[in-house]
Amino acid sequence: MQRAWQRLYAWLDERLQLANLVEFMGKKYVPVHRHSIWYYFGGVSLFLFLIQVVTGILLLLYYKGSEQLAFESIQFISSKVSFGWLIRSIHSWSANLFILAVLVHMFSVFFERSYRAPRELTWMTGMVMFFLALGFGFSGYLLPWNELAFFATKVGTDIAGVIPVVGKPLMIFLRGGEDVTGATLSRFFGFHVAVLPGIFTVALGIHLLLVQRQGMSEPLHVAALPANGRKTMPFFPNFLLRDLLLWLIVLNLLAILAVFFPWELGKKADLFASAPSGIRPEWYFLFMFQTLKFIPARIGFIDGEVLGVFVFSLAGLLWLLIPFWDRRSARGERNRALSYAGLCAVMYIIAFTILGWVL
Amino acid sequence: MILRIRRLAVAALILAGTRVGMGADKCFECHTAIADKPSTQFAHDIHHRAGVTCAGCHGGDATTDDPEKAMNKEGNFIGVPKGDVISARCAACHADSVRMAGYHVVLPANQFALLKESVHGQKSISGKERIVQCTTCHGAHGIVPVRDPASPVSPLKIVATCSSCHSNATYMRAYNPALPVDQREKYRTSVHGMKNARGDAKVAECVSCHGTHGILPVKDVRSKVFPVNLPSTCANCHSNAAYMKPYGIPTDQYEKFTRSVHGIALLKKNDLGAPACNSCHGNHGAAPPDIESVSKVCGICHSLNADLFAASPHKQAFDERHLPECETCHGNHDIEPATSTLLGVSSDAVCSRCHTPTDNPQGYSAAQVMRLQIDSLELSEQRAQALVAQAEQEGMEISEAKYRLRDIHQARLEARTTVHAFNAPRFATAVDKGLVVSASVAIEAQGALDEYIFRRIGLGISTLIISILAASLYLYIRRIEKR
Amino acid sequence: MEYPPQLKQQTSRRSFLGYILAGGFVAWLAAIAYPLFSYLRPPKQAEVEVTSVKVGTLSSLPKESGVIVRFGNKPVIVVRTAAGEVRAFSATCTHLDCTVQYRKDFGSIWCACHNGRYDLNGRNIAGPPPRPLDPYRVSIQGGDVFVSKNV
Repeated sequence: MQRAWQRLYAWLDERLQLANLVEFMGKKYVPVHRHSIWYYFGGVSLFLFLIQVVTGILLLLYYKGSEQLAFESIQFISSKVSFGWLIRSIHSWSANLFILAVLVHMFSVFFERSYRAPRELTWMTGMVMFFLALGFGFSGYLLPWNELAFFATKVGTDIAGVIPVVGKPLMIFLRGGEDVTGATLSRFFGFHVAVLPGIFTVALGIHLLLVQRQGMSEPLHVAALPANGRKTMPFFPNFLLRDLLLWLIVLNLLAILAVFFPWELGKKADLFASAPSGIRPEWYFLFMFQTLKFIPARIGFIDGEVLGVFVFSLAGLLWLLIPFWDRRSARGERNRALSYAGLCAVMYIIAFTILGWVL
Repeated sequence: MILRIRRLAVAALILAGTRVGMGADKCFECHTAIADKPSTQFAHDIHHRAGVTCAGCHGGDATTDDPEKAMNKEGNFIGVPKGDVISARCAACHADSVRMAGYHVVLPANQFALLKESVHGQKSISGKERIVQCTTCHGAHGIVPVRDPASPVSPLKIVATCSSCHSNATYMRAYNPALPVDQREKYRTSVHGMKNARGDAKVAECVSCHGTHGILPVKDVRSKVFPVNLPSTCANCHSNAAYMKPYGIPTDQYEKFTRSVHGIALLKKNDLGAPACNSCHGNHGAAPPDIESVSKVCGICHSLNADLFAASPHKQAFDERHLPECETCHGNHDIEPATSTLLGVSSDAVCSRCHTPTDNPQGYSAAQVMRLQIDSLELSEQRAQALVAQAEQEGMEISEAKYRLRDIHQARLEARTTVHAFNAPRFATAVDKGLVVSASVAIEAQGALDEYIFRRIGLGISTLIISILAASLYLYIRRIEKR
Repeated sequence: MEYPPQLKQQTSRRSFLGYILAGGFVAWLAAIAYPLFSYLRPPKQAEVEVTSVKVGTLSSLPKESGVIVRFGNKPVIVVRTAAGEVRAFSATCTHLDCTVQYRKDFGSIWCACHNGRYDLNGRNIAGPPPRPLDPYRVSIQGGDVFVSKNV
């Protein structure tokens, strides 16, 4: 037995030069300090993404992305296919936990200033994946073709339509026509299972490669310490095993959520019905949705909604380009103003999400 | 108030005196002298007695005895009014409440307006004039008050007046070929019609139900005889205890009807197919259905029940005892939705009214058994429903079983209908059909509930496995870090 | 999972932990694999049902006949007239919610519960039903008859 393993390893090593990799991994250390906990959220996000890939492929076996069949096929999955209810429920829950984990990961990186040179590209690819994740959420929400999703998509694409000049063509591109119809469903299905995963995989590959090449970033106060004052732990196996432990806990949580709070399917979308009350997008869009509701219809001579969309786009762009304009952090100095700004942003997002939920 | 009326009266007198021409009526004087028919009749006319001259309707000058002047065509003399001019002449005074007050009469001023809106005012062949003018019903020169028995619209004469057109098939064909023309014949056979013929002016005649000036087609929702309005129209008289006193019949039919399954369907749910008074009693030929015909009347709609009953052993028994079918068990005006409580021998059941344990032990026990059977079907339906609801509540997909709940419901209703055959084996077969379905639905629902528990157990096991794995991993990490 | 070499010289307690870890891993694999493979096994009814229900072929529906098909949670009656026309209506009687059927001898749709009758346009023509039956849309594609919601 032992011999066989060794021979297999030798065979692979000859072809892949595993020895290099093992040596590299063995030398890789993860800094240990009071903020180490945040390192795990990248791993949790990765794990949830993998679950999404697996359950997504499984759902693809039975799901039918057409106006007539979408809703019924999900009904079919949850009732007729054995453990279909579990797979669908896990896919829905895991999607939401994924966004949550990604948000935590992103803000922890922001507050730790881990994006500073030389990790600008890691931040940028991460941001690309974040936007893709929102795209996954937005497109996936429509796929069950139920009433709430149908109207939420209508509202969501409407908002895209208010952007001057490009808005209208963008909206028509997203909807596959003037209105949200079966054509929209086909498109969103295509985005969800082919376009977005393709781009995401590339971004994820670069992101992971950069993390492995550059190692974990240290927060400024740790980086400032003398070399002998810094604590570390080996990436392999210590950190990896801790990662695995957390993944198991998350898996347990997912299973409990999926069984005790099965994701509801609601009523089938009816293109001619009037909108029911309580139309709201997924929770991670709520703060934007709520803000747009609060903005008055006109501010001066600008349309309120256009202004809102413009401000959000600008904020997103600033956020994406942080490593390039946050000079202080790049120089290794503390940037308290930015921290407070970030804190305000987090508080604003939480407050408006709650508002959107309650109102 | 009095002062105001007096002032109005004075004004009206002045107006009337100048325009219509009170005082000497020279036209009438000359025409009476030649004793022509109009003037002979006009002598008794209420208008003549009130001082309205010939010129009031015909125009011209009633103050001169020179025919040339009096009937000056260049003047305002119009000769014999024709078409809509007739009613317009009448309405000149009758639609003017101020002027009418001058004659000390209290008549509604909206008669002409109602006529114009009515079916008689709306329908026209020529398109130029209304079918009916005031004179069509009230006459022309010998008009007397409606309350005068000589009036063609008085209760005892109105039937003849209306039927002069409505019983004339040739005439009616021009307006509505589908409309029956036998209303008078039917009316004469009705309780109302027979009493009317004997001189009872209190009973219903044409206008009691259809209205007077503003008669609307039966299919018009505003019509007094439109199905949903009809019961209250009948109730105008039939629920008036004082009015009905001489006839010695109950006056609670309307009140009972509104509580009945039919009344609720018609009046609350606006189901125009539901029976109103006339559906069972007839309309023009209204009379209570006699014992023989009750089941035929009910059977118009409830035909299956009527057929089953006619073939059942009860048919002969009821006939011998002169019991009305349907009504004996279900009642009449206050028929409630039939439930299984009617069946059996309990206090609210009807079977034991005849089938007492001593006189008719066989029927008594049969009723008892049938009640037990339908109750057990009802119970098993409820159980199946509860299980399905519970499984659904737990988030289980159970649409198949839910769909088959319908079959139990159907079997139960069929069994209830089968009761009317009063045939124990046949009833048992119908009940068994439902019991079989409800048993299989219950099994399916129970299976879904078991599956629900299985999911919980499965989760428990896998959670346990993951927890053990996580715990041992934790211990392992601790160990390699201790090193 | 490859154990580091130092673990090879284990005490009995350590070997116990190793067994638990390996056993747990295997059990975990099973706990994942069982639902996964159950999910992959095709269900009894291989395809999802639709808003548009296939009734069958036109030839399976002779003239002057009717058939009840399940449409979601409700039954639909599909009748073929003497002239060969196919029509579909809700099969729920408007009187007390029984399921109606086609009666060739009456040439009409009939409810067994209280003898309600509807003509082949779904209109209530006799008995207690208060309302006509709701119509459904029929489409015939290549000899197959489909019924869908009337929009």
